[in-house]
Amino acid sequence: MTTPCSSAVAPTAEKTALLVASGGEIDELLTNVLASEGWSIQRVADNQQLLALARAKPFDLIVTGRETRVAEDVELLRKIRGARPHVRLIILTDKFTPGDVISAMREGAFSYFSAPFDASELAEMVRAAMAEPCWDDGIEVLFGTPEWVSLTARCDLATADRLVQFLHGVRDPSIPEAEKDHVIFAFKEILINAMEHGGHFDPSQHVEISFIRARRAITCRVKDPGKGFSLEELRHAAAGSSPDDLFSHARIRDERGMRPGGFGILLAKKLVDELIYNENGNEVVLVKYLNPPESPIAQR
Amino acid sequence: MRKVFDAEYELQMRDVVGLQISNRISGDVSILDLRGRSTIDGDESELLSDQLQKLVANGVRKLLLNLADLTQVDSSGVSIIVGSYVSLKRQGGDLKLLCPTGLVLEVLTVLHLLEIIPSFQDEAEALASFRPPGYSAMS
Repeated sequence: MTTPCSSAVAPTAEKTALLVASGGEIDELLTNVLASEGWSIQRVADNQQLLALARAKPFDLIVTGRETRVAEDVELLRKIRGARPHVRLIILTDKFTPGDVISAMREGAFSYFSAPFDASELAEMVRAAMAEPCWDDGIEVLFGTPEWVSLTARCDLATADRLVQFLHGVRDPSIPEAEKDHVIFAFKEILINAMEHGGHFDPSQHVEISFIRARRAITCRVKDPGKGFSLEELRHAAAGSSPDDLFSHARIRDERGMRPGGFGILLAKKLVDELIYNENGNEVVLVKYLNPPESPIAQR
Repeated sequence: MRKVFDAEYELQMRDVVGLQISNRISGDVSILDLRGRSTIDGDESELLSDQLQKLVANGVRKLLLNLADLTQVDSSGVSIIVGSYVSLKRQGGDLKLLCPTGLVLEVLTVLHLLEIIPSFQDEAEALASFRPPGYSAMS
């Protein structure tokens, strides 16, 4: 594992972005976001032109066009990283396969958006790419197949956001979008708890994560670097409140001068089918069951 | 509604925001119109928290949060709403919600918060609920 921020690269004096034209509203969005921060923008028509330019001079941010396949963009990234190892590259795509997200993470893409995607999420990710001083040791894929991915994530919010966006990019037609959104929502709550309470948002600390896609369930495992906790002791969290008095934890937090919070575990519990903690309370598994597909016999 | 890029690349830049908060007054009720998202990621929840604390510190005791254009909320956003509700109640005030929709409505519903914090679909009705029983504008 790399040391935190060891790979940070000194930014160039003038911030420059290199974009493959996607056309219409996406180009408009990227122009608006980048120009509002005073960045200069260079556009090219395709990956070939992009590679030639990116090899010739450094860019602070590169965004691919949505017309190319992810495999091409990942190959492009691999070539650019040969010359510019810390390049921030965001993949936009209309053409993807189930394993593409893993390839993009493994090759060190900054982020990944598969259509349809949310305009505000793209804008936020571009801003994050513009602001993040160090990033490319944040997510490390240990091993991965479309069914089982294990990785580590640095304990900071920016890394959590990047990881969550990669998950949004996963497109599996057998998983209803609403179910996927619930899993991602619950996972994010647990991930941020792990980073905050287990890792104290210390960028030298990492959270271990696994995703398993079984035929009838999705599971996520999150292990934080902390000593753990007991749910029974969490009087300042909604999950430890009496069911008859959901706000007792809010009053306790108010009295103790704590920041508003405490709904993460309860919210995660409500959005997945099972939330199982280990004995120490520093490792948790989320399980979301999927409706089995109708059998061919039942369809007759 | 979240704006997505799909086959039709429609985009309105007003949707590309973290969180925008605007404040209106109606009688003794402060109405906060929230637009965007209230999540921990980009300090949006902190922005909302600061805004609510300022209002309460300035003596506001009746708050109506207009959630019609709030597209996302996470536990940090929920906690700020609940924290403000608890704090205002302790000070003899009240906080109510207007028009939660989509994911925000879903989150508030699964947490059973709408069984505790009053929520309305109509602004006039929400404002009227702050008035004492038997109050008439003509009186």
